[in-house]
Amino acid sequence: MTAAASNLSEWVETFTGDLYSWALHKVSDPELAKDLVQDTFLAAAEKIQGFRGDSSPKTWLFSILNHKIIDFYRKRVKQPVKIENQVFSKFFDQEGSWKVAQRPMEWNDDESNLLDDVDFKEVLNKCMDALPEKWNTCVKLKYLMSKNGDEICQELDITPTNFWQIVHRAKLQLRNCVEENWFEN
Amino acid sequence: MHKLFLSCLKATELIEKRLNFKLSVKEKLQLKVHKMMCSACSNYEKQSLFIEKGISLSQKREFTVDDIKQLKVIITEKLSDTK
Repeated sequence: MTAAASNLSEWVETFTGDLYSWALHKVSDPELAKDLVQDTFLAAAEKIQGFRGDSSPKTWLFSILNHKIIDFYRKRVKQPVKIENQVFSKFFDQEGSWKVAQRPMEWNDDESNLLDDVDFKEVLNKCMDALPEKWNTCVKLKYLMSKNGDEICQELDITPTNFWQIVHRAKLQLRNCVEENWFEN
Repeated sequence: MHKLFLSCLKATELIEKRLNFKLSVKEKLQLKVHKMMCSACSNYEKQSLFIEKGISLSQKREFTVDDIKQLKVIITEKLSDTK
């Protein structure tokens, strides 16, 4: 085993836990987080000859991982979504008023305890999963990246208008889905 | 439509915009006026905020020691494949 390779396998042993914990925190998807950590080590293996130890191995690996995470989100927010324009016509008429059947009514339920309700959480998660990947990601980004809208747009290289319009469509769908599957049952 | 009046489409857009960005003074006023007249959009805003809370709470971040063990094995295998 070369010195570089033995370093690397030692780092896998030492840092996988921390890297995975961070990746999971940032993407909230176990399989995806695992892939990102894997890719981080594969990239490290390729670049290890250039690693001169200016920073600690941990810092170096984390910087590779963070690039991978941002890269993933950049690609995700650029995915085209086919139903993009159908959402508005589902909910609004030509003047932009709510269609009568779609007007949000009051939800007759005690909302304060609902977020602890396992069944409700499941409905919410299912509705999240039913969104196009890009929309799902965009509504979660604020919580995952712990950043405000301007910072998110800067990092992911999209315009604010583009970003909030995606969130707008996503939330219209999401609200409707939650209503249909929970409050109308 | 009068300049001060928003459509519901536009009003819900501003409701979502405000979750991530600052609204201009004009936008704030427009939205306020619209919500005073439109119970559907007022309901929408309440429900949208509620869903936001749900989203922020629903991010999965737990894992076990076994997850890490398995991951180490997989990575070690992959690394030896590439050599």
